[in-house]
Amino acid sequence: MNREEEGTLLNVPVERHRLSNGLRITLSMDRSVPIVAVNLWYGVGSRNERPGRTGFAHLFEHMMFQGSANVPKNRHFELVEQAGGTLNASTWFDRTNYYETLPSHHLELALWLESDRMGWMLPAMTQEKLENQQGVVKNERKERYDNQPYGDWDERMQALVFPSDHPYHHSVIGSMEDIGAATLEDVAEFFQTFYVPNNAVLTLAGDFDPGHALRSIERYFSEIPQGAPIPPLPGNQQISSVIGGVVEEEVVGNVPLPRVYLGLRVPRLVAEGFHTADVAATVLGGGKASRLHRSLVREKRVAKDVLAYLFPLQTSASLLLFWVTGYPDSDPDTLRAALLEELDGLESVTDEELDRAVALTETHLVRSIQQVGTRADLLSMFDQSFDDPGRLNGEVERVRAVTLGQVREFGERFLGPDNRAFLTYLPGEVQEPGEDQ
Amino acid sequence: MTGRDVSPVDRSSPPESGSVRSFDFPPILSSDLANGLGLRIARMTRAPLVTMAVVMDAGEAALPDRSAGLAVLTGEALEGGSEKLSGLELADALEGIGSGLSVRTGWDATIVSLTCLADRMEEGMSLLAEALLRSSFPEEEIDRLRRQRLAVIRQRQMDPGSLADDAAADFIYSESVPYHRPLGGTQESVESLGREEARAFAEERFTPSGAGFVVVGDVEVSEARSLVETHFGGWAGKGTPPGAITATPRFEGRRVLVMDRPGSVQSEVRIGQIGISRATPLFFPLKIFNAVLGGAFTSRLMLNLREKQGFTYGVRSRFSPRKGPGPFGISMAVATEVTATAVREALTELEGLLEAGPTEGEVERARDYIAGVFPLALETTGQVAARISEIQVYGLPLDFFSTYRDEIRGVSTSSAHEAGRATINPAELAVIVVGDAEGVVGPLEELGLGPVEVVSGP
Repeated sequence: MNREEEGTLLNVPVERHRLSNGLRITLSMDRSVPIVAVNLWYGVGSRNERPGRTGFAHLFEHMMFQGSANVPKNRHFELVEQAGGTLNASTWFDRTNYYETLPSHHLELALWLESDRMGWMLPAMTQEKLENQQGVVKNERKERYDNQPYGDWDERMQALVFPSDHPYHHSVIGSMEDIGAATLEDVAEFFQTFYVPNNAVLTLAGDFDPGHALRSIERYFSEIPQGAPIPPLPGNQQISSVIGGVVEEEVVGNVPLPRVYLGLRVPRLVAEGFHTADVAATVLGGGKASRLHRSLVREKRVAKDVLAYLFPLQTSASLLLFWVTGYPDSDPDTLRAALLEELDGLESVTDEELDRAVALTETHLVRSIQQVGTRADLLSMFDQSFDDPGRLNGEVERVRAVTLGQVREFGERFLGPDNRAFLTYLPGEVQEPGEDQ
Repeated sequence: MTGRDVSPVDRSSPPESGSVRSFDFPPILSSDLANGLGLRIARMTRAPLVTMAVVMDAGEAALPDRSAGLAVLTGEALEGGSEKLSGLELADALEGIGSGLSVRTGWDATIVSLTCLADRMEEGMSLLAEALLRSSFPEEEIDRLRRQRLAVIRQRQMDPGSLADDAAADFIYSESVPYHRPLGGTQESVESLGREEARAFAEERFTPSGAGFVVVGDVEVSEARSLVETHFGGWAGKGTPPGAITATPRFEGRRVLVMDRPGSVQSEVRIGQIGISRATPLFFPLKIFNAVLGGAFTSRLMLNLREKQGFTYGVRSRFSPRKGPGPFGISMAVATEVTATAVREALTELEGLLEAGPTEGEVERARDYIAGVFPLALETTGQVAARISEIQVYGLPLDFFSTYRDEIRGVSTSSAHEAGRATINPAELAVIVVGDAEGVVGPLEELGLGPVEVVSGP
């Protein structure tokens, strides 16, 4: 391997179109297997929620499966499953995605279903369906956040890293109270504001004829009227590039092992420096030869496991997250100190470590895009974030271009004491709400 | 691009499908090395990748309770390195080629694999051989990994879902059946394991006899074969195949177990009994039966408990076939206050399906669903390698996955119904609830399912 060599590893074909109503389309043909992925990204997520309606973007995602003008309740799932397809959706800070992967001869079915709910969801909405899904989502919150050790870490971490008036301050799942407060009027307003073709990107990846597919997309989507421009985000996005100090929270409760989370602000997905953050995260915590695994797990043995993960976000900053899980008797100060020692030591980063980061990125990307569903999702992501789905093909080169100097400078700018949010979980008796710690 | 040439669309009904394209499972080239290692190669050229997997008859089920967790620990200890490469050097070398060792240990097998870019296959193969054939199991690495395993056991005990899975297994199987315990062992058993046990297990079980070497990817068959011969042809050793497993239940009749986790906002519910072994002739009809019950989004359980009642984020049922009879079970997480009602509803769905059987329409949908999604899970070299490994572990015919969709399409409504009735006995169900006993015991007793036993959580 040679970091200077020209890469031609990623050659995902990209053909772009745009309908007059503003819908952006990416077609990426691969006829090697008879399946096709249909993937829609709407440019709306938890960041667009107004106060008192946290969790609404996600609740709305559930409502999108409750039928539309020509599709009765449960029919959406039935039709896709009967076609031999899989489907789902997810809500995130900046976007909500909807996707199906099907045997390719059922492509039209997916386009019909997606266009019917993009254009005509509201006629199918009822109070009963809303209450049913509020129940489902409240149970989802209980299952994934409230009844799960460390389950609420992201909610707590977001509140530490982003100020209270920033759109990333609250969690995607939202509060129980807000989930319960949503009304049918909220559903209608949200739909009319955000679920418009000019706020969506549609990607097809896999087995189809591009000319035929484009005609079908036009047939199903072009009569959906363009919406108004998307309103600006609520709250204040003008925040400093770093947190501005060390913030800390300690949670004593139902957890098996002490765990320290460290969150920090790093460049956002679309900014210069994002790939440097990505490489730094891999050097520090990607894989078993990474610095944190080597030092904390294998050598010092203070940690049972470590993790570094870069959340690619669009607004103001991305979130770089570390976690260090201790053993039952670990002192959290020891865990924090061992973690910081590695962060502080990043200046000694070597060429070999950058080579390793490139090699891991190469394999990861090539493995990911084997699946047409993942391929379509990545193309949608690059389309929505950069207006350039073909950018996917240059990702390895962007990682390869990161220099030692850039990683060192990243360490100095972002890994210091002015950019640390510590969240520590300790095993112990659960604190009753309202009780002082 | 405008819509001006577009004719009005009739949206009132789903569009007709286009013409079906056929899908073939990649052909498997099969040959055995002189040492007994079964070589299985499938060419896949969609991506410049290769997956190599060594599939060994080294599962947890062959171990007695007192050394439960040894197969898992031994598998993990492969990352400890060899005489030539320390654990750290091994990790460095693997990640230097963008790869990593994956070790998956189940009841029936240990599978050691790695995936790398196809032009790095030789280096990958050589590292795989170094890790597996010349592992040195250093004492300090075993100590570290044992401590990590013990921490994992502690994590499982605090995670309501894992706790419910483990409690259910222990409540369903009698103590004479290995499946009654957690796969990774218990605190007691793992504490007793060390370097000598791991070395001995590897010597006896990590052998080429009965093992398979699976290669899937963008490689020339002759090249793959010659590399396997070079690196694994000298692998020696002969293990004795483990004995068959007879599964007996812990008790007769219906029983309810409540594991108390005071203050839980939700109950993790498991409803199950002993199910099927992988060799069952009812494999395909039960796939269909289960899809109708709780194996798909539009299953009866989901439509009732999620889409009608809003009781849960998700409910599913599944058979987990193993060499011996593995469990059948329904699982869901529901709010404390509706726990008993949700259990009643789930049982009503199960009993109703067993009694009256699925409808023709349901079976048709289930067939279309399972046959249709089959190729969707065969896009990657890793997925195809996993299917071929399954053939190896369970001694299935080499064409098992080539005829899979035909078998599914051949299941009739009556055969699905009969298979369900022959397998699931509703009078012998165990119900396990991990949650707030104070909130759930009374209503569960009122259901009158059978004796309700309450135990404290760990």
